[in-house]
Amino acid sequence: MALSSVSQTAFLLALLSLRTYQSEVLSEPLPSAPEFLKVSVNSTCQCLHLQWTVHNLSHHQEFRMVFQIEISRIKTSNVIWVENYTTTVKWNQVLHWSWESKLPLECAKHFIRMRSAVDTAKTPGPRVWSSWSSWEEADVQNSLGQDPLFVFPKDKLVEEGSNVTICYVSKSHQNNISCYLEGVRMQGEQLDPNVSVFNLNHVAFIRETGTNIYCKPGQGDRIKGTVLFVSKVLKEPKDFSCETQDLTTLNCTWDPGSDTGLLKQLSQSYALFESFSGKKTLCKHKSWCLWQVAPESQDMYNFTLTAENYLRKRSVHLLFNLTHRVHPMAPFNVLFKNVSATNATMTWKVHSIGKYHTLLCQVELYGEGKVTQHNVSVKVDGAHLFSGLEPDMEYMAQVRCANGDHFWKWSEWTQQNFTTAEAAPSEAPDVWRNVKTVQGRCVVTLFWKPLSKLQAHGKILFYNIVVDYLDRTSVSELLSIPAPANGTELPLSQCSSQIRIMANNSVGTSPASVIVVSREPGNEEVEEERVKGTEDGFPLSWKPQPRHVTGYLVEWCEHPQDPPCDLQWKNLGPNVTSTVVSSDAFRPGVRYNFRIYGISTERVPYLLARKTGYSQELAPSDNPQVVMTNLTSHSFTLSWKNYSTESQPSFIQGYHIYLKSKAGWCHSGSEKAVLSDDAAVCCKYKIDNPEQKTFVVENLQPESFYEFLVTPYTSVGEGPHDAFAKVTTPDEYSPTLIRIILPMVFCILLIMITCYLKSQWMKEKCYPDIPDPYKSSVLSLIKSKENPHLTIMNIKDCVPDSIEVLNKQEGTRKSLTETESTKPTYLYLLPTEKRYSSPGPCICFENFTYNQAASDSASCGHVPAPPKAPPSQLGLLTSPENLLKALEKNYMNSLGEIPAGETSLNYVSQLASPMSGDKSNLPINPPEPALCSEYKMQMAIPLGLASPPSSGSSSLSSVTLLDEGEHYH
Amino acid sequence: MPLLSTGDSWGLLACLCTVLWHLPAVPALNRTGDPGPGPSIQKTYDLTRYLEHQLRSLAGTYLNYLGPPFNEPDFNPPRLGAETLPRATVNLDVWRSLNDKLRLTQNYEAYSHLLCYLRGLNRQAATAELRRSLAHFCTSLQGLLGSIAGVMAALGYPLPQPLPGTEPTWAPGPAHSDFLQKMDDFWLLKELQTWLWRSAKDFNRLKKKMQPPAAAVTLHLEAHGF
Repeated sequence: MALSSVSQTAFLLALLSLRTYQSEVLSEPLPSAPEFLKVSVNSTCQCLHLQWTVHNLSHHQEFRMVFQIEISRIKTSNVIWVENYTTTVKWNQVLHWSWESKLPLECAKHFIRMRSAVDTAKTPGPRVWSSWSSWEEADVQNSLGQDPLFVFPKDKLVEEGSNVTICYVSKSHQNNISCYLEGVRMQGEQLDPNVSVFNLNHVAFIRETGTNIYCKPGQGDRIKGTVLFVSKVLKEPKDFSCETQDLTTLNCTWDPGSDTGLLKQLSQSYALFESFSGKKTLCKHKSWCLWQVAPESQDMYNFTLTAENYLRKRSVHLLFNLTHRVHPMAPFNVLFKNVSATNATMTWKVHSIGKYHTLLCQVELYGEGKVTQHNVSVKVDGAHLFSGLEPDMEYMAQVRCANGDHFWKWSEWTQQNFTTAEAAPSEAPDVWRNVKTVQGRCVVTLFWKPLSKLQAHGKILFYNIVVDYLDRTSVSELLSIPAPANGTELPLSQCSSQIRIMANNSVGTSPASVIVVSREPGNEEVEEERVKGTEDGFPLSWKPQPRHVTGYLVEWCEHPQDPPCDLQWKNLGPNVTSTVVSSDAFRPGVRYNFRIYGISTERVPYLLARKTGYSQELAPSDNPQVVMTNLTSHSFTLSWKNYSTESQPSFIQGYHIYLKSKAGWCHSGSEKAVLSDDAAVCCKYKIDNPEQKTFVVENLQPESFYEFLVTPYTSVGEGPHDAFAKVTTPDEYSPTLIRIILPMVFCILLIMITCYLKSQWMKEKCYPDIPDPYKSSVLSLIKSKENPHLTIMNIKDCVPDSIEVLNKQEGTRKSLTETESTKPTYLYLLPTEKRYSSPGPCICFENFTYNQAASDSASCGHVPAPPKAPPSQLGLLTSPENLLKALEKNYMNSLGEIPAGETSLNYVSQLASPMSGDKSNLPINPPEPALCSEYKMQMAIPLGLASPPSSGSSSLSSVTLLDEGEHYH
Repeated sequence: MPLLSTGDSWGLLACLCTVLWHLPAVPALNRTGDPGPGPSIQKTYDLTRYLEHQLRSLAGTYLNYLGPPFNEPDFNPPRLGAETLPRATVNLDVWRSLNDKLRLTQNYEAYSHLLCYLRGLNRQAATAELRRSLAHFCTSLQGLLGSIAGVMAALGYPLPQPLPGTEPTWAPGPAHSDFLQKMDDFWLLKELQTWLWRSAKDFNRLKKKMQPPAAAVTLHLEAHGF
């Protein structure tokens, strides 16, 4: 209790002392609370602007005061911002303060109040605040207008990465308003029933025309929107640098970075400020600016480059001495003087940078695949001597310069080419030869390789060849071969000779290349060895020679299969006994032959070794062309003599002969093999000697079918298993039969030929011609004796009793009547009753040569055989037309008038009319049958046709015939 | 076929020469005569079709430049700030009842205004490529305007004189937000497209109307001596 009373006493004493102090300090009147507080709204920057005054200040009074400002949103109790604003207050001063709102001010009401206190920072103790001012309201919503919907802020400009708050204000009390950012719906929070806000964090730049944000109610097509302009963040200019080329103009450059230009904001601008001179210039370009150097001597420059846009300002600084930033212009007028085969002098000029400065120039020379560099000090004109150059070589020289006193940057290069003069070739050409004997004379073919550019020292114009004969009996020969040639053929008077070859250009002659041709043919008996090629080439080795050699030489043909085999050679030193010959021309499956020569001290080459091989062996692609001979019933012989083992894609080790047979079993000497191609089983014979190119296949079955194939085999495989040849063994007896039949056939042929050659003789002997009575010698005898009782029966003297009409098929003119009538038709011209009853004084001839049956059945008299018309009439009557003609002619045609094609088999009479010899005296009317000469039929017709005709057919008249046949008019 | 006598041949030749001599006097064959407004209407029609095609490409580029929602196919905002743009849409009966002079005058006035607005659009375009495209289209539209003026002159109609103070300007007021400006740009392109479509119909109608009836040229040849 006592303790409590003591403490209370102490507290009261302390309070009393504090009050005493305060009354001492505030002896003067204190400023009152802020008055005339006014609040205004700036929608563009979303700022609340406050202005107020402080009363109770005398004229001389000046206080440092603190104003505590409170801002509430929507309602006064919702304080969102408290800030103490300290300033010095004078009498009658209007104070200002601004506050930028994150939320657009149109989105909500804001309330502001403040109080003040004297700043007692220098004196300890708590502030004594005035009373709060009344709340001031900032409400923009009332002035928005009559539109039902608003979106805020309007067309705001922010930097990329900023946080932005968007809101809409709806006056139509619609709740289903949706808002979109670039077409994507945003989710917001409702501030009050009519206001919703959307917070956008870290907004990004999309396009220059801004980011579109719009809201639309659920009903109706009215939309409201705003454009948010998002600018890229302005960065500091990078790589800011200034330099001069002529000490009169400074060129300042920098990297501007991103362009921050928008539809609402121009691109950032740049300004250059020099602090020593105080001058400033606005740059017209985004990345460089020119600054005129003052005529007065100003060495030091302190530049500030400022980049600025609507939202931000960035600066960089640069301090430098002008003479340290000299970037000279490129040298000019580069020339070459006194250009010889090995030396050249280059001269150039530079742009002056003042008489007190020296330039350091760098000279580079490119040539011979290398580069050399030299430094030269230059005032105005530069010069440099290049020495040790190669003749006839093109060089490229370039020069650049920099300030020699204070190096800053090299100028650009200035280049120029030059070519040194030619000189005599420095090396003898690399020469090889090929010696052959043509008609007893040595012919040397020389080959040489063109000199390299470094050896030729100019364009080779021709090659001089000097032939010195070693026995001194012949005069030396001199030839000149024009340059592009790389060889020549040289017939020698004598084989033993020394040949010197020299290359010449426009300046001089190269050293001579000497080659000796010996009379001796050389050691051609060297045995050929095989060598196996590898990927690196052909490894060749040889025995070192006991006698002294100046070197070795390997020769080969790169294209051995082509006629100009492209002879190649390789020179090797005297101590070398192996080498690897490689070439891009080597192909797999091609056989290459190498000859290794030793070169004697007398320059005579002699053959040491011969090698042959393949860079890669390939399986044979072709089989030999096999000829089969000596085919017997039990064997045949195969031969492939033309098969060259040398030109194959690998070394031939032998041959395999495959024999397929239906029997399926193999004799001794062969083995069964299964071909991989068609899995066929066959017998395989093997020949180990590649030069054995014949083979006899034996133990075969007669009359059996065989297939065979001859294929070479190598270390990498056989030839292809295709195209089996086929053979069938003959019958065992067929050779014997052939031995009999062939002579018989020959004999028959001989007889036939003989008969043909002696046909006339045979005819006369076997079937002689029937004698013609008119041409008979008897007639002459008769005429000579003029015996009236002897006569020859004339056909006109005979009265035919019937005419046989023969139907003869004659091509297309055959009528239906003719085709149907197969029997001869007879026309009986005499009364039938008189046919047999009135035998007249007829002379009867008989000829039994023809128609034996007729002759057998009849004597001299009428016979039942149909009487025949004369042959001439029969031939003409084969058609109705001929029949008519025959009737008109009254059967008077002679035998000689018978057309050859109309002769009939019926041979009626052998008699020839006596009038036949005199056709001009043909009688017009048929003769009267005063004298009847009877004759018997003489015919060579088949017996079946010799029967007498039927009465119906025999009664046909000539008119009837015409009616039945074709009618002609 | 009867053969002409020598005298007939001379008569035929003389007749042919007479016909050839009088051919230039035949109106249908006289190429130096005035072809009338037909060809120029046809050319104007062709130009509107070409500009329709050209605008299709330009509008796609420009609306992408404005961004969504203006480049969305179904975007159809209210015609708020674009009231000063000449409207192409008209009642069909009204359109049919338009006489030639009124039809041409409306076209001429519309394109005069649209060209002016389009030049303002060109000035504010941010990219050089877009400016080039807009400038090219403006040149083409200027050509269409000249073509319409030519048709009107051929038909003897006077060109409409702009009323003082009604010259369209492209100076948005301070309250004109960027979003509304984009809406105006959208509507400008849309109206331009509609106008070109309507003009094609207008000139097609004019073309058919001006087409003279099929004229048959009959050459009466007095063939003496035939």
